[in-house]
Amino acid sequence: MDIGEILQLIKESLPSLLKGAEVTMLLVGACLGLGFAIGFPIALSNVYGPRWLRFSLSVYDRIFRGFPALVLLFLFYFGVGSFPGVHLSPFIAVLLALGLRSGAYQSQIYRGSLLAVGKGQTDAARSLGLTKWQTIRLIVIPQAVYFSLPGLTNEYSILLKDTALAFAVGVVELLTRGKFIAFRTHAVLPIYLTVAAIYLGLTYGGVLVFWAVERYIRIPGLSGYGRRAR
Amino acid sequence: MSLIISFYPHLLAGLAVTLEMIVCAAPLGFLIGIIIAMSRAYGGPILSPLAYVYQIIFRGTPLLLQLFIIYYGLPRLGIILSPLTAAIVGFSLCSGAYHSEYLRGALLSIPTGQWEAARALGMGKLQTIKSIILPQMIRRALPGSSNEFIYLIKYSSLAYLVTVIDLTGQGRLIAYQTFRFFDVFLIVGLIYLGLVSIASHLLQSLERKFYLPSA
Repeated sequence: MDIGEILQLIKESLPSLLKGAEVTMLLVGACLGLGFAIGFPIALSNVYGPRWLRFSLSVYDRIFRGFPALVLLFLFYFGVGSFPGVHLSPFIAVLLALGLRSGAYQSQIYRGSLLAVGKGQTDAARSLGLTKWQTIRLIVIPQAVYFSLPGLTNEYSILLKDTALAFAVGVVELLTRGKFIAFRTHAVLPIYLTVAAIYLGLTYGGVLVFWAVERYIRIPGLSGYGRRAR
Repeated sequence: MSLIISFYPHLLAGLAVTLEMIVCAAPLGFLIGIIIAMSRAYGGPILSPLAYVYQIIFRGTPLLLQLFIIYYGLPRLGIILSPLTAAIVGFSLCSGAYHSEYLRGALLSIPTGQWEAARALGMGKLQTIKSIILPQMIRRALPGSSNEFIYLIKYSSLAYLVTVIDLTGQGRLIAYQTFRFFDVFLIVGLIYLGLVSIASHLLQSLERKFYLPSA
């Protein structure tokens, strides 16, 4: 194949690949959301909760951070999906496996940022008559959200790359579409390199968006605290 | 339990393949990391940007895609690798890119005064790098690089998707024979968890061993 043919092929397959990229981004968004919904309460209970709760959460943490993502995905899609009365579509299985896993990782991010709000501030709030819950809600959380953004930026780029595993259970996302096209047209390298370029764009484009958000919600006078992700 | 007893030879065979990949890819990846970090720091106008592009590409695309390119793409250029070799090459290249960032961070944290002092004592450039910079760089990068080794253990399961029958692959085979998908993948996951725990223990004692009170 000469260069012209290859370029023509890439041009023709681009719409299909971009449709796959949409599914990929949908997965990333859903997993980040599920991860937040699980990770934030876990972090709160880890920092402020009773001991028995912290212990049971550490088991969750161990499993979801210690198992490989692919094994978790198989555990959900083939394992949980084979329970009587349970039917998991591939998309939902990926969402559960990667979302719950992200929850475990995100809880570590939020735990760090909750602890990054100095004890002086919580002491001051309590001495001004705020209750413990008010202190957490009004003083700690708004700052912690800001501190957690660099970690979240990292989590976004990790999740984006991990959603490629959805290929293994047959979700038709970016990599799956790339593989279909590559094997149908026999132009394996050009198509895969195009897919790689799309992933690169999504990774660094997304990181730029996160940085913009970080700048937008910067707290004046506190800016020195936020550690920029690599 | 009976599942483990009746299938332990298979699990063990899978574990051996997984360990083989990790044992090969971990030092190779670390070596690539050192080379990339060094090239970025001392590579000059040609090598340094190249190393940067390497980092961007390998840290910005999914490992699974990299494996596909190496296993399915390279044969079109005449480079044919066995699944196991392809997996090891892919893991090494990818984890090298991540290691290089930790190593570069460590490199930047070494005060320039040391460099100047070594040069003033009459050491050559290479000698300074070899006996002053490198030993400190590796020590300081260990905490970050340990993380990367742990990730390598978990991501080694992707080798199954380029047809290596590793621990995950054996699990898949056993699951299809017994139809006990949940139990099998739970056991496989727990084995990985065990590997991760052992590795993090070893790496921690390594860190303690190489710890410099002054650094």
